[in-house]
Amino acid sequence: MSGAPNPGGGNHLARTDQGALYRELSRSNLPATRRWYTVVGLLLLVTLWGVGCFVYMMKVGMGVTGLNRPVMWGSLIASFVFWIGLSHSGTLISAILRLTNATWRAPILRGAEAMTAFALMVGGLFPLIHIGRNWRFYYMIPYPNSRQLWPNLRSPLMWDAVAINTYLLGSLTFLYFGMIPDLAIARDHATGWRKRFYTVLALGFRGTHSEWRRYHVASTIFAILIIPVAVSVHSIVGWDFAMAKVPGWHSTIFAPYFVTGAIFSGLAGVVLVMAALRKVYRLENALTTVQFENLGKLLCTMSLLWGYFYFAEFLTVWYNRNPEEWEVYRSYGGHFLPLWLSMVVCNFVVPFPLLCMRRVRRSIPALCFVSFLVLVGMYAERFLIVVTSLARRNDPFIWHNYFPSWVEFSILAGALAMFLLLYTIFAKLFPIMAVSDIQERLFQATDRVVGGTTLESVARPEASGEGGHG
Amino acid sequence: MSGMVVVGLFEGIEKAAKAGNALRALPLAEDRITTLSSVPLPDRAVTRDTRPIRFPRVTLVGWFVGALAGLALALGTYLLYPLITGGKAIISVPPTLIVTYEVAMLGALAGTVIAGFREMGLCRFRTRLIHDPRIQEGKILLCARVSGDEQAKRAMDAMKTAGGIDVRPEEGEL
Repeated sequence: MSGAPNPGGGNHLARTDQGALYRELSRSNLPATRRWYTVVGLLLLVTLWGVGCFVYMMKVGMGVTGLNRPVMWGSLIASFVFWIGLSHSGTLISAILRLTNATWRAPILRGAEAMTAFALMVGGLFPLIHIGRNWRFYYMIPYPNSRQLWPNLRSPLMWDAVAINTYLLGSLTFLYFGMIPDLAIARDHATGWRKRFYTVLALGFRGTHSEWRRYHVASTIFAILIIPVAVSVHSIVGWDFAMAKVPGWHSTIFAPYFVTGAIFSGLAGVVLVMAALRKVYRLENALTTVQFENLGKLLCTMSLLWGYFYFAEFLTVWYNRNPEEWEVYRSYGGHFLPLWLSMVVCNFVVPFPLLCMRRVRRSIPALCFVSFLVLVGMYAERFLIVVTSLARRNDPFIWHNYFPSWVEFSILAGALAMFLLLYTIFAKLFPIMAVSDIQERLFQATDRVVGGTTLESVARPEASGEGGHG
Repeated sequence: MSGMVVVGLFEGIEKAAKAGNALRALPLAEDRITTLSSVPLPDRAVTRDTRPIRFPRVTLVGWFVGALAGLALALGTYLLYPLITGGKAIISVPPTLIVTYEVAMLGALAGTVIAGFREMGLCRFRTRLIHDPRIQEGKILLCARVSGDEQAKRAMDAMKTAGGIDVRPEEGEL
C-alpha cells in the first residue's frame, strides 16, 4: 500500500511497489520451462513405478512384501504414521502463528499449509495400500448394505478414518480460504486462461472493507477449529497402537508423544520445503533468515520435548522390567540397533546441541541438514514403534525380524515422488506465497508522512529484521 | 445495494481517509461508503463496517449439527449392527465421544465456510460488481452509493478535492 516508504529500513520488500512485489513473489507461476517439464516427467515416472508396484502387489498378493508372522504391519504403516505426522506442522503451525499474530509468519503460511494437504493425501493412501484385497476398501464406508456389515466404530482404525477425513477436509478448506485474497490478486494480474481460472477460484473476492473484516474473523475461527483437530488426529494415530495390548504399544503416553513427534517432523519438513522454494523460485527477499531462525528455535524446542517424552517412556519400561516390554527394548540393542541409534542421534543427540547455536539456526544449509536428520530420525522412530513391538511380541518362538521388500521400497519412493509432484504442480498453478499477508505486514510496517513529519511504524523492528539476504 | 456508485482511486490511506470524511460531511450514511483495497484497512480509518458479523453463530450451529450427526452415526451403528463382545457393553462411551467430536468439528468447519462465504457476498458471478484492478498497485478505491445526479456531483467533487484520481460514476453493486 502506498504511503511513504521506509527510507532507512533495510527491508527490500518494503521498498518495492506492489506490482513488482507480486511479480517477485509469484515467480513460481511463470509459464513452465523445459526444466520444469523434465522434473515433473521424472516425478511422474517414479510415481507411476510406485503405482505399478502397488498393482503388482494387488495382483500377486501381500506375499511380495517382507511382511510375515508376527510382523503384519511394516513399512507401509510406518510410512502412514510418518506422512500423517509430516502433515502436522503445516496447518497447525500456520494456525498457531495466525492466532498469536506472529509477524514473521506470512512468507511460510502457504507453503506449509500446502505441505499439510499433500502429505495427508499421500499418507491417507497407505492404509488403503496396506489392507490387502484393496478393491474392498469401501467396506470401511458406513452405508446401508446387504452384507449386514457396518464399520466397527469401536475400533481405533475407524476413529482414524473419521479423524483423517475431517483433518484433510479442514486443511484443504484452510488452505483454500487463506488463498482467496491471493487468487484475487492473481486474477487482476493474469491474462488468458489463467485469468478465467483465478476468476472462478477467487469467487468474486474484491477486497471491500466488509469482505476483509469477515475474512479475518473467518480465518481466526478456522485457526481456532483446526488446532484441536490436528492434535486429535495424531493422538488417534497414537491410539491405533496404544489401544492394542501389544508390548511396546500399550502406553498412556503415546497420544502426546505422537503429537510431539508429528510437530517435530512437520517442522523439519516445513524447513526443507521453504528452503527448496527459496532456492528454486529465488524468494530470498521474502524467506529470510528471520523465518528460518524462528523455525530453528521451534525445532530446537520440539527436539527437547521429544527427548523428554522418549526418556519418560523409556524410564518407565526400564524401571518396571516387565519381561514382555523389556524384550522389545532389548532388541534395540540387538537387531534393531542401527535403527535405534539413527532415531536417538538424528532426533536429539545431534539436532538439539546444534540448534542451540544461533549460527546454525541462521545458516539455511545447516538448518536443512539438521531438518533432514530429523526426518530420518523420525522415520526410524515410526519404523521402530511399528515393527519392533510386533517382531518381539509375547511368544519368543514366533519372533521374526522384518525387512521391507523391493516392492515396499518402490511404493515408498512412489509416495515421495507423488508428494513432490503434487507440490510442484500446485506451486505452478497457485500463489505459493501468501502475497496479501506479506503486503499487509509491509503496510503495517511502513512509515507514513503526516504533515511535515514522518511517523515511524510500530511494526518496524520486525520489518527491518527481514533485511538480511540469508 | 445496486444503483449509481461514485468511485475514486486514491494514492495512500491518508487521502482516502480525507475523502471519506468529506463524503460523510455531505452527508452520506456510513453504510453507503466502502473501500476496495489489496490489504485490509483498519476499521474507521477510511470507512466503518456497520453490518454486524453474524456468521460465527453458524459455526456454533454447525458444531451442534455435526455433533448430532456423529452421535447418530456412532449410536446408530451400535444399535443397528450390534457387535456382541463378551463382557462389554454394546454402546461404548469413549469411542462415541471421539467420533462425535470429530464430526462436530467437521460441522463447525463446514458451517464457517458456508456462512462465511455467504456473508462476505462471494460467488455472485452473475452480478455486475464494482471493481478496479488498479487496487493491486497499492491504490485504494473509495466507493460511495449515491441517489440522484446532484448527490453524485457533490460526491465526485469531494473525492477530487481530497486528491482522488479517475473519479467517475459507475453502475453496479458494492
